Formats: sequence, structure tokens, C-alpha cells
Amino acid sequence: MSTITGGRISSNLVENFEEIHKGLTRSEAIEEANRCLYCYDAPCITACPTSIQIPKFIKKIATDNLKGSAKTILEANPVGASCARVCPTEELCEGACVLNHDTKPISIGHLQRYATDWAMKQKEPLFKAGDSNGKSVAIIGSGPAGLSAARELSLLGYQVTIFESAEEAGGLDRYGIVSFRLPREVVQWEVDQVEQLGVEIKTNTTVGVDISTEEIINQFERVILAVGMGQVPNLGIEGEGLKGVYDAIEFVKKTKVDAPTDELIGKKVAVIGAGNTAIDAATTAIRLGASNVKIVYRRTKNEMSAYQFEYDFAKQDGVEFRWLTAPSKIVSNEQNEVAGLECVKMTLDEPGLDGRQKPVPLENSETVLDVNVVIKAIGQSKHTKLIEAFGLNHTKGVVDVDSETFQTSQENIFACGDCIFGNGQGEAMVVSAAQQGKEVAKAIHRTFMLQSEIA
Amino acid sequence: MSEYETFMEEKNKIDSYFDKGYQVISIFENLSGTFVDFVTGEEAIEREVVQIQLLTAEARKYIATKLLFVS
Amino acid sequence: MADLQINLAGIKSPNPFWLASAPPTNSGYQVQRAFEAGWGGAVWKTLGDPIINTTARFAAASFNGKKVAGFNNIELITDRPLEVNLKEIYETKKRFPNHAIIASLMVEPKQEKWHEIVKRVEDIGVDGLELNFGCPHGMAERGMGAASGQVPELVEKQTYWVKEVAKTPVIVKLTPNITDITVTAEAAVCGGADAVSMINTINSLMGVDLDSWNTVPHVAGKGAHGGYCGPAVKPIALNMVGECARNPLIDIPISGIGGISNWKDAAEFILMGATGVQVCTAAMHHGFSIVEDMIDGLNNYLDEKGIASVMDLVGKSVPKYSNWGDLDLNYKVVARINNDVCINCNKCHISCEDTSHQCIDMLKDATGKSYLKVREEDCVGCNLCSIVCPVDGAIDMVEIKQTLPSMTWNERQSRIASFMT
Repeated sequence: MSTITGGRISSNLVENFEEIHKGLTRSEAIEEANRCLYCYDAPCITACPTSIQIPKFIKKIATDNLKGSAKTILEANPVGASCARVCPTEELCEGACVLNHDTKPISIGHLQRYATDWAMKQKEPLFKAGDSNGKSVAIIGSGPAGLSAARELSLLGYQVTIFESAEEAGGLDRYGIVSFRLPREVVQWEVDQVEQLGVEIKTNTTVGVDISTEEIINQFERVILAVGMGQVPNLGIEGEGLKGVYDAIEFVKKTKVDAPTDELIGKKVAVIGAGNTAIDAATTAIRLGASNVKIVYRRTKNEMSAYQFEYDFAKQDGVEFRWLTAPSKIVSNEQNEVAGLECVKMTLDEPGLDGRQKPVPLENSETVLDVNVVIKAIGQSKHTKLIEAFGLNHTKGVVDVDSETFQTSQENIFACGDCIFGNGQGEAMVVSAAQQGKEVAKAIHRTFMLQSEIA
Repeated sequence: MSEYETFMEEKNKIDSYFDKGYQVISIFENLSGTFVDFVTGEEAIEREVVQIQLLTAEARKYIATKLLFVS
Repeated sequence: MADLQINLAGIKSPNPFWLASAPPTNSGYQVQRAFEAGWGGAVWKTLGDPIINTTARFAAASFNGKKVAGFNNIELITDRPLEVNLKEIYETKKRFPNHAIIASLMVEPKQEKWHEIVKRVEDIGVDGLELNFGCPHGMAERGMGAASGQVPELVEKQTYWVKEVAKTPVIVKLTPNITDITVTAEAAVCGGADAVSMINTINSLMGVDLDSWNTVPHVAGKGAHGGYCGPAVKPIALNMVGECARNPLIDIPISGIGGISNWKDAAEFILMGATGVQVCTAAMHHGFSIVEDMIDGLNNYLDEKGIASVMDLVGKSVPKYSNWGDLDLNYKVVARINNDVCINCNKCHISCEDTSHQCIDMLKDATGKSYLKVREEDCVGCNLCSIVCPVDGAIDMVEIKQTLPSMTWNERQSRIASFMT
């Protein structure tokens, strides 16, 4: 279970960014593993998007077969070490555990971490690339979807090249999830696992800038677009250019690249939005020494997209929540710095087309929150330009794909991960990106199998 | 056919012979199960002998119970 | 408050819980601590010619993460001179005159040896003697312990020698390392024993280390078989107690030993014919204080059942222990799953499907919800599903009222015999 607990903030900022949960001891892991009933046709497997054979990997922990355990996990989920840390397990495997109806569910996430932590300490690789089949695939983006697809394709014998615009591979896992939940080393290990299979990862390479889409299409037989999402869009209110306004994605990324700075010490922070990134930004702000952090959300707790465990975590960290509150203006001081956040109170109206109740402002309800930092976390923009450069059909920036094959409107181009998430399509979890990566790999392999059948 | 159905078939056979007035004259048990020889009543001119083979454990139990308490 | 006092062949103790002859009763210090904690009696660590022990004496089996499911030792009898033990027995008896102290004895199978030790021990003042004919390791290689306990004639003869001089009750402790324990129990009766105690430990090798390939435990890279005890041996011991208790030739009291870890185990042994019990592994695992719950739990149980004295419980289940041939073949139970309680782990299904009679179906109701159902006509009533079920009350074994009268195998065979030509 994601039993990370916040609330212990150190004045040594570096300590604040160390992984909070230290992992199970051997005794804890074995005791918990022995509690697993080893269900037949276990519901936890069904609830896992990547269908990890959970009772099997748990039984293997109980018998000291950690190599077998780690392989069972990573066979099904190439980013199983990350998922052990960031999966909303109470909504997935642990939520489905039959022991919810009896005692308490098995801590599947912690056990998965125990086994994958063991694997991370080994020198011998767990998987070997398949015999080369002479086919090449380009993957744009090295996040969980891209890595997963690359791993699967390598096992099938494909020559895979990943193009990554950032300095290091890993995508959202590397830059977008706070290090006290997902340390950089874990992601780096998962990247290493893919690289040791012979996958070439070209970092600092932005497709459309450093290499054209045409070159990619011409050089590779198949292309997978797994670019995720971009920056936080503008709020569209006055004052967004002021000093002290941050993009949540960039804000979190900075803490995963550089040592923590003292620029937030003693600051009062408003985070706008109540999704996963908003929680990450708010708890990061606390860990950077902010004296007060408020999450400002125009709807209520019921509509927030953050998970319950994330909400609990933020509360433990001391983050305050201002529901039904929408920012209307960022107030400036004479030095062009944030001096406050003007907000209006909202009320929920009839449900709109998306089924969610539409928030509407209450007249004359303006108040000014006393803050000197504003962090925007209202979602992420789409890579529409790149999608169009590949000539792909999309709906408001969300790539249109076949729901089974993940094939785009271009026959040889496939897409998966966050870039196909939205408008009721896909899922936003790391674990679903991993599964989509696997499925894309299978779908691509089928296209070649089909061809050879025809030939 | 399930074991239960086989038993029911064997039980019905046993019951029907008893109902028709047959009596058990011999029981033989070996690796293949229990073989029960039934004969018609003594008053018949030509005594007809029929043998049934009982495969199921339930039927091998049942025949003995019948002999102990019913006939 | 029920009366927990027992009288085993004339040996009285304030409750039925004795420490068995073993490491916990090695010294006066330990036995006195045990009596302070509430133990009703103690069988002193076996007296005899002082031995020399190895280091690395114990090992235990863990099962699914639970420690000490079974316990193994290669420790021998006392390594202290008789005088030292006798002095401590005297001091302990003086401090605890109402507690039972039984001296466990082991000497070479010679009449004069037995006479000598019996006299010297009884002179100091003990409540009884227990002849150790069971220790399976080490001493057995020297012709003592189990080596003499496996030969009925030796059991009878040595018991007889002891009885020639003994003034206190003599308990003969039997080894389970024998095909039929009632044979040696009968030999003890013939020799004049006042009681038997069982079981001593079972020959065992605890394990093999998968890295060094050494035995567990090992002494400088070599191992020797030990004696197995602890919770894992309880069913073996309980059967042996039951077999002796229902044997009319063994008409002396039984002191029950073997894996007794709590008051429930003790009550089971008493119901199956033991007049009292001896405990070792549970005390070695948890310390002497565990006796508190043993006493308390047994007392509450007797009160709830309205039984005034624990002695009234002795042997109440013995008439229910019988031969297979006397079991009713027409008795029928079937499994019934309570879907309100069931958590759908499907363990009953897979155990039945793979290893029993394939009669539990995984089904879905009209709303798509999974549930399990037993096809009762195909269920042989084996109990397996209810054994593997992790949730209390999710599977009941239900008796199906039979239209047919009871018939045992023996009855069946004698009935059909007349038809066999």
C-alpha cells in the first residue's frame, strides 16, 4: 500500500528529498509474503494493468527465490520498480485483494519493491535480447511507455532506437515524480536495463528540431510516439509573468536535477490545481522550506484527480486545501514579484457534457490570498505540433489510435502513454503506460508476422 | 458420466432386482470391483442368474447396506 | 474455579502442567523459577553418569515464516555429577513441597546400576521416578535410552529391576521410534510400571544448509541425528497416547508429552487419556511464563463445561477413538460454501479441482459477481476445501441425514462373507 507518510520536514533540505519509505526488511517482507493466500485466479492479477502474476512473485519472496520474484514482476512490467513506488495500489492490486474482506490487504506494492530492490543490486542482467530479426523501430520518448515498448521489442529481436529530448532518459518517472517518492536511481536502473538489451537511447535529441520527422519515418520501419505531455498551460489570468510564478512540471523537475535551493524558504505558496502533479508540487514546496502551502482548486475534494493516498500525504505534510476557489488574478508588488493571489469562490452547477459538475463563480466573492509564490498545476499541454508533423490525426492534441493495436492514422506509426490520454481515451498511470508499451510492441510484431505470412 | 451418475445407475439396478424379487446368491470382489449374482425366487421353474458389476464405491457400500438391513 | 490438581499413579501436583525432562529442568535454579511461574511439576533433566555435550545442540523448523514449528536436539542427559543434582533437588523440594519433582534416570541396562541410582535418588526425596527409555541420540549409541526402549524385553526387565527397590511411583518414558508403541507400553506394565509417559523425541535430521551442504545443526562440519519435538509432533504423540489409553492391557496412567504448546493441546491429551502433560519446546520457545495461560485457559474451559476437576476430563475421548473398520461408512458430510462469508480466494476450488474430486465450481451470478458452489452429489466429504479455506465460517462440512442405517466396514465384510464362495 502507498503508506508513505509525510510530516517530517527537516531543515536540511537534501534530506527532505530522500525516499520517504525505506523499504521492507527481510523479516517484514517474509512475514507479509507468508500472509498472501496464493489465491487461484487471483483478483490482484486482474486488477493490475500489466497483469503481474502477483501471488507467484510473492510466494517466491517467501521461499527466498528473489531472482525468480523480480523476473516475474519485470517480465510483466518493465518499469516494475517504479510502479512499486508510484502505483495507486489501493485502487489496483491491493484494492482487489480478497483479504480486504477479512483482515487487511497484502502490501503488494511494498513486496514488489522488495523484490525489485533486490534486482537493482544485482550485476547480472535479468533479460537477454532476442536474436536480431533485422527490423528497426524508432521510439520518440523514453518515459515508461517508451521504455516498456523498447524492452518488449528488444526481447523479440528488433533493433530499437529511442529519441529523447531531455538530457537523461526516463521521462515522467525521471523528471516528473518527486524524488522522495521515486528516486532518480530507480529510474536510471530501469533505463539501464533497457539499454543493456542493445537499445540505443539518443538523449538531447528533439524530434522535429535535431532530427526531422521525415528522417525518422524513412530510417525506421515502425515508429512509436510516446512523448507524453508538455508544460502546464497558462491560466489566462493577469500576472502570470511575475517573478514567483512557476510551472509545476518545471518546478518538480528542478528538484530532480539540481540540489534543492533556498529560494522558497519561508515563502507562502499557492498551488493551483488538485491533480497528481499539484500534490507533488505542494509537497515539494513544503520540503523546500515554504512556511505555508495552499492548494487552490475550483471544484471540491470529490472531483480532484489526485489519489486519496496523495491527498492524505499532502495533509500530513501540512498542505492546506482551499476548495471551490478559483484564481482570478496574481497580484504584483512594485518589484514585479507575486504579492498575493486574488481568488473567487465557486459553486458547482449542473453536470456538463463530461459528466462533471461545472464550477461557476459566485459574484463579489473576491478575496486575496497572502502568498508570494504561485505554482500552476492545472494539467499539461499536448505536443500538438509534433503530432501534426508526423501527420497523425488527433482530437484536441490527443493522438487518435486504434484501441487494440494503438495504430495511428499512419499505418507504420503507433502511439502510447500520456500522448494518447484524454477525451475518455487511455489512462494516466505509469502502470498503464507500461502496459500500452507492451501492447504496442506486440501489435508491431503482429504487423511483421502478418507480412511474412502474406509473403 | 460423473461418478455420481454411475452410482445412481448401479443403485437403480440393485433396487430393481430386489423389487422384482431377486435375491443375492453370491458376491465376489476383486481388483475390478464387486460382482453380485442375483437369482429369481425359488418358486420359478428355471432360476435365472444375473450378474452385475459394481464399479463405484457408493454402490459397493449400498449393496452391503441393503443386505444387512433391508433384505 | 475448577480443581486442577492431579494424581498420577500417586504423584500429586497442583496442576497438570509439568516440565519434561530436558534443558529447562537442568538445574535447581531453573526448576525453582518454573515453580514460581506456576508449573505444577518438573521431571528433572535425566540423571546418570555425567556426559559431555557438543556445542550446536539445537535446531528448529520454521514453516511459512513461523519459527519453531518443530524442534530438534542432540543434547544428552545431565552433564553434572549426581551429588550436585541431588543437592539442588533437595533444596527445590524443600522450597516447593507441594510441587511434584520426578527424577528422570538413565543407566546401563544392569540391575546393580539401576538399584544404585534409584536408592541414591529416593534417599534425597523425590515424588517419583521416570525411566528414560526414549532418548534417541547419543545415549542410544551406548546401549541406553531408545536402544533399550526399543526392545520390549529390556523395557520389562529394567522396569522390574527398578521396581525391586523403588519406593516412589515409577513412570516409564517410551520412545516413539518403534512401529507399535503399545508393545513397549505393555512391556512396561509387565515390568510393574506405575505409569507410562510418552512420547520421547523422534529420530530426526533438521535440515541441510544449501550453501555449505552441512547438516543443520552441524558440529564442525558433521552432524548426527537428533530428537524431534515441538508442535509438529503433536499429532504423532496424541495418537500414541490414544492407542495406549484404549488398550485394555495398558491399565496404568499416562503422562502425555509431545508438542503441547497451550491449554488446548493439553486438554486434548487429557481427553485422549493423559492424566497430566509434560511440556518442553513451548517453554524453550517462550519462557516459563507461558504456563500462566495454560492454567488459566484450562480452568476457564473446565468452568465453561461445568467440570469440577481436571481429573474428570481424563480419557473422555478415548471411547471415541477406534479402528477404521468400526467407522460408519454410511455417514455422509458434504461441503457447503457460505457465499456471504466467502472472500473468493478460490483456494477451495483449486484444491478440489487439482487434488480431490472436482466438485467446486467457479460461477458468476446474473450481475457478473463471482461465486463458488459445491456440487454436493459429487462431493465425497473429504474436508480438504474447509481445511484450505482461510476464512472461518466460509465453508461448513454439513452432515447429510442418511436414509440408510449405519454400517461399518467390519459389518459389511461379515455380512457379505456368507455370499462369498
